[in-house]
Amino acid sequence: MARGSAMTMSPVDRVAHLNRWRHRPLPEKSLLTFGMLGLAISLPPFPAAVLVGAAMTMAALVGARVPVRVWLGCALAPAGFMLTGAMALVVQFDGHGFSLSPAGLAAAGGLIARSLAGLACLLFLALTTPATDLMAGLRRLGVPAEIVEIALLMYRFIFLIAGEAMAMDAAQAARLGHATHWRRLRSLGLLLASLLPRAFDRARRLETGLAARGWEGEMRVLRDPPALSYPVLALVVAAELLTAAAGIWLS
Amino acid sequence: MTILEADAVSYAFPGGIAALSELSLTIRRGRRLAILGPNGAGKTTLLLHLNGTLRPHSGRVLLNGTPAGYSRARLTAWRRRVGLVLQDADDQLFAASVFEDVSFGPLNLGLDAPQARERVNAALAALRIGGLADRPTHMLSGGEKKRVAIAGALAMRPDVLLLDEPSAGLDHAACADLLSVLRDLSAGGTTLVFTTHDVDLAYSLADEVALFNGGRVIVHGPAESVLADGEALAAAHLHPPLLLELGLKARAFGWLAAGEPLPRKPRDMLDLLDSVGGRGPARG
Repeated sequence: MARGSAMTMSPVDRVAHLNRWRHRPLPEKSLLTFGMLGLAISLPPFPAAVLVGAAMTMAALVGARVPVRVWLGCALAPAGFMLTGAMALVVQFDGHGFSLSPAGLAAAGGLIARSLAGLACLLFLALTTPATDLMAGLRRLGVPAEIVEIALLMYRFIFLIAGEAMAMDAAQAARLGHATHWRRLRSLGLLLASLLPRAFDRARRLETGLAARGWEGEMRVLRDPPALSYPVLALVVAAELLTAAAGIWLS
Repeated sequence: MTILEADAVSYAFPGGIAALSELSLTIRRGRRLAILGPNGAGKTTLLLHLNGTLRPHSGRVLLNGTPAGYSRARLTAWRRRVGLVLQDADDQLFAASVFEDVSFGPLNLGLDAPQARERVNAALAALRIGGLADRPTHMLSGGEKKRVAIAGALAMRPDVLLLDEPSAGLDHAACADLLSVLRDLSAGGTTLVFTTHDVDLAYSLADEVALFNGGRVIVHGPAESVLADGEALAAAHLHPPLLLELGLKARAFGWLAAGEPLPRKPRDMLDLLDSVGGRGPARG
């Protein structure tokens, strides 16, 4: 009945819930994330972006104790994408053929440094803060309740539907549904076709369950965000000023 | 005193398949009633009528002797008194954390934050899951999810708690824990109504059993007499619980005095056998 909740829970979600800074208030973490992101974008990339990237990676790995393996797992795909994307800047076409472009090389270096710094910033936020906290934060920023509630329900359902899909997939495999490529494709089609009505059934039952608890269209729950710590906020601002100063001084 | 009553309720699914046919059932305050029947017999459909989710095609449901209404205000009042716990707890938990999820019902009752908080803490304590308050709802075991779902219903302080297959999907230990929690709730005055196809569960928890088959209640009475009625049970593709049969045998052999209650837990039965065995063979 646990429907494989542990099985389908993504490592990102698990780390977001279990890291050391899980209960730090969202404003502290977002001030750090977006402040540093702003520095990486606005200052000359060398060395500011490098400093930001290093600082935010350390914040995630050392400060919040995010496991290196999870961090790398999340960083590799987007980093690879950025590197291949930057290749387009390095190579120039001058009518006779392709050649390396010195100007492009510098631009690509800056671009890569900035994007990796941005990646480190966003990874820090994503790996230290559960998605539901982020949604509650959006609500406080004035995003309409309906949108936030739908996002919350979608997030909750991802795990349930993924669990059902995995169970069905295992059941298909057990009955040789994956024996050939053709059959695997056919099995996938069957799986998707039966997932949709299941999702609808579940939505209907959820509605029954919510109605039984007096739901009248608004999902209000008691939630007290942890108290903001002004010393920590001051520390965050100080770290950002220091990075900015070093970034300008050393460039 | 009757708290909830179904009076000749009929209901058919959209395909035209009859789920309930002129079903009548009275639920008395403070009792632990098992609605016992084979799978797919429509037990869930019956529960959904008892909290107003489904509306009978004919017949009526009475709440404290008054026919229930289906207007928004009447439904709200109804659900304030009658709580429902679905079979799959995943259908009921939606919020980010256990505490938030349990607070949903009390806030819907219009309570303010301090009152709601007090209700949530009391419900978590009653289910013995105070330590899970901050846990995200998708990081719970099946037994924990079930308890959180029950806490969510309990936090609204209903008079009647309807539970659909409460033991479904729970392992033995989780099930035993759940039973002891439910006994506590019952001792605290909450009327319990639960569906099950498990005669042993019915015998260990219920004081009344309504045997459900073919869309109606065919027998309703004290657990010990309904569960001993082999013929009626066989009609519903069920059989008497072994523990009850052993207890009746023990009584027939004179191992139990006429007024003494039958053992309701395996442990009690074993103790009885031990005490008899100590006296040497008792052939009667």
